[in-house]
Amino acid sequence: MTESETAHAAGAASVRRAEDGRASVPVLEMRNIAKRFDATQALEDVSLTLYPGEIHALLGENGAGKSTLIKIMTGVHQPDRGEILLAGKPVTIRNAAESQRLGIAAIYQEPLLFPDLNVAENIFISHQDRGQVVGWREMFRDAEAILAKLGVALDVRSTARGLTLAAQQSVEIAKAISLNVKVLIMDEPTASLSAHEVAQLFKLVRDLSDQGVAILFVSHRMEEVFDIADKVTVFRDGQLISTRPRSEATPQNSITDMVGREMGLLQPRPPTPQGDLLLSVRGLGKEGVFEDVSFDLHRGEVLGFGGLIGAGRTDIGLALFGIEPATAGTIVLNGTEVTIRSPGESMGLGIAYVSEDRRQLGLSMPMSISANITLPTLRRYLNRFGLIRTAMERATAEAFRERLSIRTASVDLPVAKLSGGNQQKVMLSKWLNTKPSVLILDEPTRGIDVGAKAEVHTMIGELAAEGIGIILISSDLPEVLTMSDRLLVMREGRQMAIFDREDANQESVMTAAMGQEAASEGGVAA
Amino acid sequence: MSALGRLKSWEGLLLALLVIIVAVNIEHSPYYLGVGNIVNLFQLSIEKIIVALIMTLVIINGEIDLSVASVMGLAACVLAWLFEMGTPMPLAIVGGLLAGLAAGLFNGFWVAYVGLPSLAVTLAGLIGYRGIARILVEDHPIGNFPEWFNLVGQQPLIGPVTVSIVIFALLFVIIAITLHSSALGRLVYVIGNNLQAARYSGIRVRLVKMTLFGASGTIAALAGILYAARLGSVRGDMAAGFELDIITIVLLGGVSIFGGSGNLAGVGLSILVILNLRNGMGLASITGNTQTSVIGALLILSVLVPNMAQTISNKWNGRET
Repeated sequence: MTESETAHAAGAASVRRAEDGRASVPVLEMRNIAKRFDATQALEDVSLTLYPGEIHALLGENGAGKSTLIKIMTGVHQPDRGEILLAGKPVTIRNAAESQRLGIAAIYQEPLLFPDLNVAENIFISHQDRGQVVGWREMFRDAEAILAKLGVALDVRSTARGLTLAAQQSVEIAKAISLNVKVLIMDEPTASLSAHEVAQLFKLVRDLSDQGVAILFVSHRMEEVFDIADKVTVFRDGQLISTRPRSEATPQNSITDMVGREMGLLQPRPPTPQGDLLLSVRGLGKEGVFEDVSFDLHRGEVLGFGGLIGAGRTDIGLALFGIEPATAGTIVLNGTEVTIRSPGESMGLGIAYVSEDRRQLGLSMPMSISANITLPTLRRYLNRFGLIRTAMERATAEAFRERLSIRTASVDLPVAKLSGGNQQKVMLSKWLNTKPSVLILDEPTRGIDVGAKAEVHTMIGELAAEGIGIILISSDLPEVLTMSDRLLVMREGRQMAIFDREDANQESVMTAAMGQEAASEGGVAA
Repeated sequence: MSALGRLKSWEGLLLALLVIIVAVNIEHSPYYLGVGNIVNLFQLSIEKIIVALIMTLVIINGEIDLSVASVMGLAACVLAWLFEMGTPMPLAIVGGLLAGLAAGLFNGFWVAYVGLPSLAVTLAGLIGYRGIARILVEDHPIGNFPEWFNLVGQQPLIGPVTVSIVIFALLFVIIAITLHSSALGRLVYVIGNNLQAARYSGIRVRLVKMTLFGASGTIAALAGILYAARLGSVRGDMAAGFELDIITIVLLGGVSIFGGSGNLAGVGLSILVILNLRNGMGLASITGNTQTSVIGALLILSVLVPNMAQTISNKWNGRET
């Protein structure tokens, strides 16, 4: 579908709604909503209005505050400040059940159906207060009526387990309709669907909007947003940056709004002289996860991996580290082709991977700082009876405590006692102690405070200067831009571009990450 | 509070309990402090407490081995069966130990390489190995073992201390060193409290699990053979039901059923508490069933108290760790 056709269709729809007069009273109004989690201001003074029958798209980077807003609408979180009005009346949404009662429903990327219940049971799962005995015949009839209204052909007696993802999404929508939904939130509903299934879903969404349901549509796929939305709202760093009608919004001005962030105090890392070729990856792929990834990494180089969460960047790291080995492509390390099937093999080749998830995948929380640091290299600390030389272990830990300024009373304390930033430094110590030649850092500054973040950045610079080749996976755009010598951008498992330092900026990277052609081709200047 | 602080307080509690039990026993029975009674106290449960040592490692590692009592029976029956076929006794003993090793590795294979839960795998082992034992030694007891074999089970070796007790003491030291000072022990803890972090650190998790299950099978077999030597005869149902007593000892010792925490000192204290409690109640002519109920109540407390302490301290600190 071309852009002009879409624009025309959307325009026609809004005109019709305006004639009906339904659009005059907002169905849901969020006024001056603020929400804080510890050190993070997740939402700041956000006001969003939804009208009946409107398809309202929400755009923003990971962490921009979209999810927090959705969670406030569905009663998962309570706002610190601000008010919510439903059809003009102030309401408090204390939990998910209350949100459903008020006519707000949400569907997500992965449908949350009960796989062993049939379609009709899933549709009416929230109607358990109708009596003690299930009236099967009545339930099947009602379920069929709802599905017919949606124009979906499904056997209401079959279990949800066998349905395609698209069919499961339809059941989720039918479930929402059975609750007499007024506001339907769709959080990346198309991420796992094929193009044909997306078209079916969009037909459903348009029908719903014609019936007066307000739809809040969150997606990272620009072309879909501009295909279906009547209005486009952009979030950045917990703030609402812009709300534009479809006729005024373009992919370019939306991306500009998404990334128009102050680069702040981050100074670009001075470029380092590039060393010899260290790692050469060609056509790397893993069935159904990512494909055809090719890049070179030199000694002393920081190669950034940019893109949105779920774009497949971590999966490349896991493949290189042997946790989830690649199924296609070649890896050449120091001129020799290698196969990596396990973390042990990868470590043996001098590759280290610092996981993005400290708590689940990185550290053993109840164990001491020193035990965590020596874990991958424990063999070095054994005496000839196979017992651990604790003094030597402690000496290593003390050395790293000094070098990375890990703030702790003692290296014998459990890592659970440390702040996030100091835990991150323990993770770094653990992997630096393996003396890697290739260091893969996955979101190394996520969830840590500004001071610790700056320290980690300095550390990355020092390590590169020592000749380590660093792959920096980060969803923090300013971070990855300032730290990287070159920047590889992924989108939905595919490599979109490799930017040299001088070509990489927030807009060019985000444009590639959102799957748009280069900004200059778009027409509207940023 | 940290897991460490909680454990220390748990051991303190066990120690206090032990002092009270010993004091009451001394008060009530003139025979309690006799050397004969003390040796007897250990000797009567020696096989269970030997297996409890290796079970400690298995549970800290985040797994469980329900098949140990059946492996004890299996090893004894393999030994008796080989002996009855004319195999020399030393070879029959080796045969019994190998059967235990094989049974343990079989459990380990399904857990470590196939990824099945150890609860289910070793429950199947509990039934299956017992079945093989009963097939080997049908319903009639096999006895008439060589004199020296029976003496291993009954004869005092050093003063009044029997061979079994010496083996227990040696194993206690070896396993304590393994758990608290060796690389294997470190890995047992790490895998028990965060298996994924262990995997992401390049640790060969499967190898560690295989080693533990193999050791569990072998030590259970050793205990089964010692049991056969003490009784002087072997039956298909010998040691049946021991697994629950063994797991009780370990959990009462402060080892978390979810893995990752606990230590051998706690299990040592737990052994002393349970043995002295049973012995004291025996001397006071309290029946076996009542004894079992008291131990059961203790076990519930052992799970309840640390959890409650955790909940309270969380509320106190107003944060989660």
